[in-house]
This record gives sequence, C-alpha cells and structure tokens, in this order.
Amino acid sequence: MIVCVAVVGHQNNPLYIQSFTDADDALKLHHIVHCSLDVVDERVNNPKKSGPTLNETFLGLLYPTENYKVYGYLTNTKVKFILVTTDLDVRDADVRNFFRRFHAAYVDAVSNPFHVPGKKITSRTFAERVSTIVKSFGLSSAG
Amino acid sequence: MGREVSESCIDSLLTEMVSTYCNRFYANKPELAARRIEAIGYQVGHQLSERYTLERPRFSDHLEAIKFICKDFWSVLFKKQIDNLKTNHRGTFVLQDNRFRWLTRMSIDLSPKNGASEEASIMADNKGVQSMHLYFPCGIIRGALSNLGIPCAVSADISNLPACSFVVRIKA
Repeated sequence: MIVCVAVVGHQNNPLYIQSFTDADDALKLHHIVHCSLDVVDERVNNPKKSGPTLNETFLGLLYPTENYKVYGYLTNTKVKFILVTTDLDVRDADVRNFFRRFHAAYVDAVSNPFHVPGKKITSRTFAERVSTIVKSFGLSSAG
Repeated sequence: MGREVSESCIDSLLTEMVSTYCNRFYANKPELAARRIEAIGYQVGHQLSERYTLERPRFSDHLEAIKFICKDFWSVLFKKQIDNLKTNHRGTFVLQDNRFRWLTRMSIDLSPKNGASEEASIMADNKGVQSMHLYFPCGIIRGALSNLGIPCAVSADISNLPACSFVVRIKA
C-alpha cells in the first residue's frame, strides 16, 4: 500500500507531499523522499546509453533495512514525482499507470491560473484526485 | 472531457488585451505594456508546455526542445507547424511562420495621402501596433522553453508580413 506521494520541483523544492498512513512517521517519509532526490539526480546525470531515455526512473529499494520501495518519475519540465510504497511485489505496469494518472492530475493542477509556479500546490481538487488514484492503486495490485 | 472555445473568441480576447494594456493601463508607456503582455504570455506558455509534454519522452538537448516547439506545440496552438527553422548552432534559432495566424486578420492601412513620407509614417505606426501584438506569442515561446529548462530571450521580426519570424536566443 502506498504510504507517501510527493511532487518536487526542478530546484528540488517540495510542491506537494502527502502521506497516507495514520502513523506519526511523516518526518521519516519526508526524509526518504528527500534522499531519493539524490538518486534521481544521479540517474539523470549519468544516463545509461542502453534503452531510450524515457521519462521514468524506477528506483529500487532505497533503504535496505526498511520495507519501503521508492519509485521516481521525471517529467519533461524537470518535475519529480516520488512514490513510497510498502508493497513487496508491485507490478511495473501498475506503477507506470499510477504515474501517468498522477501526471495528468498534476498538469491540471498547474494549469490553474491562480497557481503560482514554484509554490506549493494547494488545490483541494488535486488532493482529492490524488487520493482517488492512490486508493485505486491499492485495489488493482491486491487483486 | 475537453471543452472547446471558439477561435474568434480567442482572437477578440487577444486583440482586446493588447488594446487595453496599450491604451488604458499603460497608456504612453509602451515599454511597460509590452513587458506586462509578455509576462502574461510567459505564464501561458509555462502552463501549456506542461500540458503538451505530458506523454512525451524527455528531450535530450536544446534542438529537440526547439523542434518540439516548432512542430507539436505550434500545431496545437496554431494548427500548423513552423515553416522554417534556422540556427547558427551557437544558441540562436530563428523560427519562421509564413502565415502567422494571429496576424492574418490585421490589415495594413496603406492609404497614401500626401506622398511618400506620410505613407512611411503610417507604415511605422502600423508596425508599432503590430509589434505590440507579437509580445504575447514571444512570451508563450519563452515560457514554454523556460519550463523545459532552457532560459532564453525571444523577439519577433515582422519585416515581411504576413510572415513572422521569432528569434530565440538561448542564454548560455
């Protein structure tokens, strides 16, 4: 199940962080997201010549001691999406699907004329869409 | 789920925006009006580029991003592609559109009254007004490229209407 999603801007400034557990480890999750940014930067700056340079970077297990899997996604506009999940067997297709829908929700949120680029996303519609996407991710991978 | 807007609405809105900024908000201060209009274009370009790079793989270099602007981005905005792209391979690109959509409805009032000098001044006035209308598309291009990580300066050149050239200078 997904514990945290985050949107980070191109200067590594947080634009949206939402955790979906009721435990008090929000700080730990923020820290995980922060560390994963370094991995994203590393992947981007040293592209493997094999394979096309698609805009998805899948990160493996970041903390071997924790039970988290951290996935990353980098858009054309250098915005990073980070997904933290506790599922042990997550299908590649599910995560790609999740990021596609998340990206669409992000684009709609940013197209809001009252949104200031670079500031946090405060749209309630975006938060609702994200929680819908997160809920359906859990269902599809459980089935 | 897309909602559609009539194109004449957009044309009228743009014309009115330029006219309002030039004649009411910043009357007698064309520099400020130009800067404000360009800033509006910047925000629009920023948001549009976010939307239209949704399903695309990342661009590997500046040329790819400029080609995206010339082909896909321009087709979405103006239903045609840029007709000619030139570069000096040192950070300057010239995008030429032979029939820029937002200028096609503008007339060039060439009614010569008292000889050639009058005609020249009328031409100059018209050029001034038309160049005001070009700050918005320049801003759109600049906003789109900045969002793709390419800071640049964009200017327009309308020496032969209805063709219009946009000069993009990438900041090193």
